[in-house]
Amino acid sequence: MKLPRTLLPYAFIGPAILFLAALLVWPLVQAVVLSLQDVRSVGTTGKWVGLDNYREVLTDGTFWSSTWLSLVWVVTNAVLQTVLALLAALALNQNFPGVRIARTWIVLTWIIPTVVVVMIWRWLFSTSGGIVNPLLIQAGIIDRPVGFFARPNTAFATLVFINSWRWFPFITLMMLAGLTRIPGDLYEAARIDGAGPWKRFSRITWPLLAPTLGVLLVIGTLLSFNVFDIIWLMTSGGPAGGTRTLPVLIYETAFKSYRMSEAAAVAVLATLFLMGFAVVATRWLARPPEAR
Amino acid sequence: MKRPIRWTVALTAALALFAGLVLLPFWLVLTGSVKAPAEIIARQPTMVPHSFTLDHYAKLLAASDYPVYMMNSLIVASVSTLITLLLAIPAGYAFFRMSFPGRETLYRAILLAYAFPSIVILIPLFGIFAKIGLIDSRIALVLVNVAFALPFAVWLLRSFFAGIPAEIEEAARLDGGSPFIVLRRIMIPLVAPGIAAVAVFAFVTAWTEYVFASVMILSDAKRTVPVGFSGIIGQYQIDWGLLLAGASLSILPVVVLFAFVGRWFVAGLTEGAVK
Repeated sequence: MKLPRTLLPYAFIGPAILFLAALLVWPLVQAVVLSLQDVRSVGTTGKWVGLDNYREVLTDGTFWSSTWLSLVWVVTNAVLQTVLALLAALALNQNFPGVRIARTWIVLTWIIPTVVVVMIWRWLFSTSGGIVNPLLIQAGIIDRPVGFFARPNTAFATLVFINSWRWFPFITLMMLAGLTRIPGDLYEAARIDGAGPWKRFSRITWPLLAPTLGVLLVIGTLLSFNVFDIIWLMTSGGPAGGTRTLPVLIYETAFKSYRMSEAAAVAVLATLFLMGFAVVATRWLARPPEAR
Repeated sequence: MKRPIRWTVALTAALALFAGLVLLPFWLVLTGSVKAPAEIIARQPTMVPHSFTLDHYAKLLAASDYPVYMMNSLIVASVSTLITLLLAIPAGYAFFRMSFPGRETLYRAILLAYAFPSIVILIPLFGIFAKIGLIDSRIALVLVNVAFALPFAVWLLRSFFAGIPAEIEEAARLDGGSPFIVLRRIMIPLVAPGIAAVAVFAFVTAWTEYVFASVMILSDAKRTVPVGFSGIIGQYQIDWGLLLAGASLSILPVVVLFAFVGRWFVAGLTEGAVK
């Protein structure tokens, strides 16, 4: 059998596209259908209720407080990860003995199961043998051991730290990609013109890295928004709903309260938020650099 | 070119900070897994173990199905990696070496799939899998893992395919090679580092996946490490020695894999992945 030349590319991409359509797009359609019905637990059938679930969700304070928490989660993670990754990328962009090894193994935090990440940090933050409390006491920041997961605010902040710990090396590598593409002669020329390190950073590195940072900020936002397992395994959304971001709310509504259709409605709304953000962000990034 | 002393100091300080941030937790976990129970929960943690015991490992292996979870995880992750490669390589070849109507739109659709909130499809996918009898099957996990790894995998191949000079492909085609032969004989060897990068990404995605594995798998004999281990955590709440041993064992396979192909993965991410 011989394929006509024009159809060949489609034969190559077809399997991947069909696969994603079957496993991502079709379930999404099903989620929309589910959100218009009244289904409580998996496998049961429900009757059509129109937009009732959406009305229910949108007038529920829990949905809005979760949306707010998700927003705070995305922003705090973006800030912390960008700062950590930028520092690490600048350091790894230098020449020093062992730089290749350091570049490879920095992603160690990202290649281990999240369950293990959670277990490790629960131990490190614990009051029985954990290292964090003694370190903070030694540094004079606290004077007695703290239960980090006992209060909503500290639990939230600790989770932001743990999630950033897991993800920042991944961002670091992609930032490094942007850094290595800045031509070395630029720095050389600036040095000859007498520009100090700060000036070289602010006039060369920063402007040339900005497009990369933009892309990473978008990717990072999408990745952080979707984080569920770390939060669920660590706090299950508690204490007092203080870490119940939208993915946690969706899971809780579906598998703990057995209100599938309502969970689907929240999920559809979350997808709309995210897709809206992605469309706006990619359009903003696609603008020519000088217009930005 | 020499660096001023204060920059060397600053660089060393930054490197020490990141080494501590990344490596210290792992050091404490690995050493903790061989410490005697009393030393693990000591008020002042010890950096170098004063005691040595393999009891925690022995207890873990005797009390749980840990080796079974490990086997399941290896199977699921390997098969997921294989299928991801089979789908991503031809797709990458078409996207980045051919021009055809709809290319931009389809490529953007794949990128958008990367932004997909995975939790959204958990509920409907459970229903769909229940209907076709895939609940409590490792195939279900493979399908899900491939769906999550595939968009990024295609994206990752971009710089590798784009870096191949057009003349090489042209020459092969003039010699009468069909596109399939060009892909197999010319392209695949040339993008081998990219393939390694995709393989690592797909393997890690499958190896670390928890949510779908916890919902879709019901019988203990089919559990993967993340789910099996979270069960052990629930059962042995504060037996830190046992838990640290389990953590150490689950880190091992990916570290071994990474020791071999890690640098290709890093090259894949750093050599022009962001565009």
